[in-house]
Amino acid sequence: MPLRKAGEGRADVFRRLVLLSVTNLQAGYGQLQVLWDVSLNVDQGEFVALIGSNGAGKTTTLRTIAGLIRCLDGQVTFLDQNITGKPPHLISRAGLVFITEELNLFEAMTVRDNLLLGAYSSTDRKKVRINLEQVFDLFPILKDRQKQLSGTLSGGERRMLAIGRGMMAEPRLLMVDEPSLGLAPIVVVDVFNALKSLHQLGMTLLLVEQNVNHTLQITDKAYVMEHGRIVLHGSSAELLNNEYLSETYLGRR
Amino acid sequence: MVRKISSLGLSLQFLACLAALVLASIFVRNEYALRLLVISLYFGCQAMTFDFTGGYINAVNFGFAAFAGLGAYAAALVAIHTGLGAWAGLLVGALVTGFVGFFTGILTLPLRGIYVSLMSWFVGMTLMALATAMEAVTRGARGLIVPPIFKDATTTAYLYILISMFLVVYIILNLIIRSPIGLAFRAIGQNYDTAQASGVNPTRYKLLNFTISSACAGLFGGFYAHYVGIVTPVVMNMGYTLEIMALSFIGGSGSLVGGVFAAFLLIPMFDSLKSLMEYRLILYGMLLILVMIFYPAGLAGLYQKVSRKIFPKKGKS
Amino acid sequence: MDPETAANLLLTGMLRGGLYVLMAVGLALVFGVMNICHFAHGEYYVLGAYAAYFAFVTYSLNPIVSIIVAALFSFMAGVLTDKLLFYPLRKRSKGDWIINAFLLTAGLSVVLQNVFRLAFGMRYRGITAYWDAAIKILGITVSADRVIAFFIALLAIAAMWIFLQKTNTGRAIRGVSQDEQGALLVGINLDSIHTLTFALGSMLAGLGGASLLSLSPAYPFGGNKPLIASWFVVTIAGLGNVQGAIIGGFIVGLFESFSYYFLGQGWQEVASLSLLILLLLFKPTGLFGTQIKSVWER
Repeated sequence: MPLRKAGEGRADVFRRLVLLSVTNLQAGYGQLQVLWDVSLNVDQGEFVALIGSNGAGKTTTLRTIAGLIRCLDGQVTFLDQNITGKPPHLISRAGLVFITEELNLFEAMTVRDNLLLGAYSSTDRKKVRINLEQVFDLFPILKDRQKQLSGTLSGGERRMLAIGRGMMAEPRLLMVDEPSLGLAPIVVVDVFNALKSLHQLGMTLLLVEQNVNHTLQITDKAYVMEHGRIVLHGSSAELLNNEYLSETYLGRR
Repeated sequence: MVRKISSLGLSLQFLACLAALVLASIFVRNEYALRLLVISLYFGCQAMTFDFTGGYINAVNFGFAAFAGLGAYAAALVAIHTGLGAWAGLLVGALVTGFVGFFTGILTLPLRGIYVSLMSWFVGMTLMALATAMEAVTRGARGLIVPPIFKDATTTAYLYILISMFLVVYIILNLIIRSPIGLAFRAIGQNYDTAQASGVNPTRYKLLNFTISSACAGLFGGFYAHYVGIVTPVVMNMGYTLEIMALSFIGGSGSLVGGVFAAFLLIPMFDSLKSLMEYRLILYGMLLILVMIFYPAGLAGLYQKVSRKIFPKKGKS
Repeated sequence: MDPETAANLLLTGMLRGGLYVLMAVGLALVFGVMNICHFAHGEYYVLGAYAAYFAFVTYSLNPIVSIIVAALFSFMAGVLTDKLLFYPLRKRSKGDWIINAFLLTAGLSVVLQNVFRLAFGMRYRGITAYWDAAIKILGITVSADRVIAFFIALLAIAAMWIFLQKTNTGRAIRGVSQDEQGALLVGINLDSIHTLTFALGSMLAGLGGASLLSLSPAYPFGGNKPLIASWFVVTIAGLGNVQGAIIGGFIVGLFESFSYYFLGQGWQEVASLSLLILLLLFKPTGLFGTQIKSVWER
């Protein structure tokens, strides 16, 4: 797992590496085009948010990047490799891990088995064991429940398991879709804290969320989507003060 | 008058083909060719009946041959044990099988999708097992010898009879399909549970469909009993279900008559190319596989495509 | 019923059950992972029987080697089948998958049966016994073949169990059966898993056919009985439920053994089928439940 040790600084400007580059993406479901000219970049070590209201196309964007939806036009580059149109399992193995909103956990398997499957493409069994311990350190509740069937976990625990499983794949970039959906506020805090910790340990994250305020406070930069297009982007600090955003999404005047 | 005829579902093309068939039965003298025509039409009729369920309420009756066989046994028993004419036997066959179909429909009411096929498969197997076990009635594996449909009936006579039966059944089935009942069938076929939202009572229509198609299967089965002259449990064999099913799907699911065309295409072809006879079932199987993978619309779909190219509808580019 | 008859029936039932479990587990895997209602499963049993026959009789190989060869042969046949038939169907058929796959296997069954007929004729290819011996268990004499076949079945099932529970690939197979999208997201190649699963299912069937060669000779239509038996078990246990298939196999074996004794051949079938129909009516998901939700739709 590419987690940096404490004390190591964030990647400085000269070594900034563009991990993910999405250019002019057009995609949709069958006859229905949903995404129009979507472009975004995620640099190494960045915590990027993709925000917008329901139906704006945020999930569709992530799903297209992950290869679950075939795009009509445009390009997705990851680690300097063109991954447009590649099958999802190869994209996952390349280090671009997607944690869906529905989580897609293996319900009838134990927490431990789920996590081990997260490391499916890894051949080094010792490394897998180490990574497993790291996930347990980050999410102690998973360690307690490791022999339980994942279908029996609570909403927040399932979310943690999904993130933990994603981490087992040693991702270079983690995409998370609406982790706070359907969770009690106190659990949402835990989840966001977990993501913050991950980021502080060096993980690059692309987060889709409806909870604009909270998201802008923990991320570096954000893209705002409406009706399948990127309408606004910039650093999260700037966007928090942006007038349009404040009115539309934060309800301020 | 033309409008009345076409409202019965008898398009010009269909009537032309039917006329060809009738002419063939009048003029063809070759016994072998006549037998081929009867068998092709018989399987075509059964394929049509199968399609009434498979192509509309989307239930694959995997015990179909057993239902046809039941009709065959019923007709045979009536012909052997009572003095009533063959028509009584055919009617009894249809009624009995219709009743069993109704009962099977009830058995499948709580089930969906593949489970419906499984249940009908098991019912079919039960029928076959019963036919073998109830020796006192059916003479078990030795089978029943069935008298001809009427004294000194020739193959040509059988052909005329079958053509008339086919026409009547086709018109009836077609009328049903084109009526609101047919729409209800299709609604159930799309999604049984949400059909209710459209105001359709799925139970009633599912049972109706099962009963009608079973009755027709039994009717034709009774014909088969008289034509072939002997009924054994083998007529209920899975192989026949597969053959009929293959014809129905190759012909085009939902087309009703597609299976008839498929039958007239494939059965004589397999029979005439003697060397192909051995491979007949293999080819059926492979055709079914290929159609499933590459062209699920079947012959009917192909026909639609071609006729649209030759006769483009007015107003469409 | 005297204790000796009961013991005899019990033993026969268990021995039968073991082989049913073998077939049923293969079927359950194929259904659970690939969502295919496999109608040609019996033909792979026959394939294994033919392979074992030729290995043992024509090439005079050792019985165990013959059985292993047959199993490997069936495995390869499974690989071929998936790559040539199911893979293209997967690519093209999104909506009506379950029915289309079902029909495809029906067509496959017909094709295979007639290929056997053309290649090997209608002759029964059987042997008197692999091992010319009889074993006494609880005072009842059973042929060695039958007992060894049982243990082969147990061994195969145990190996399969360990494979599925403890290995990475086995876990992947289970994962695919539970959530395909989840499997994709953790980097599992679905096509490879499908091919492997089908090959394993075919191998188990072939193993059954091979080890029971002395009791059920190889002939073109010999697949019907094993097919029906394995479908029985899987329907009773719950489609796609591998653990259920293991228990269900023994249940069916015992049920058949006892009902045969009380009802005789003809009516035993009727009894089994009636039971099956009743079960489908009241508990369609089987005694142990099916994990597969999509089977409820088309």
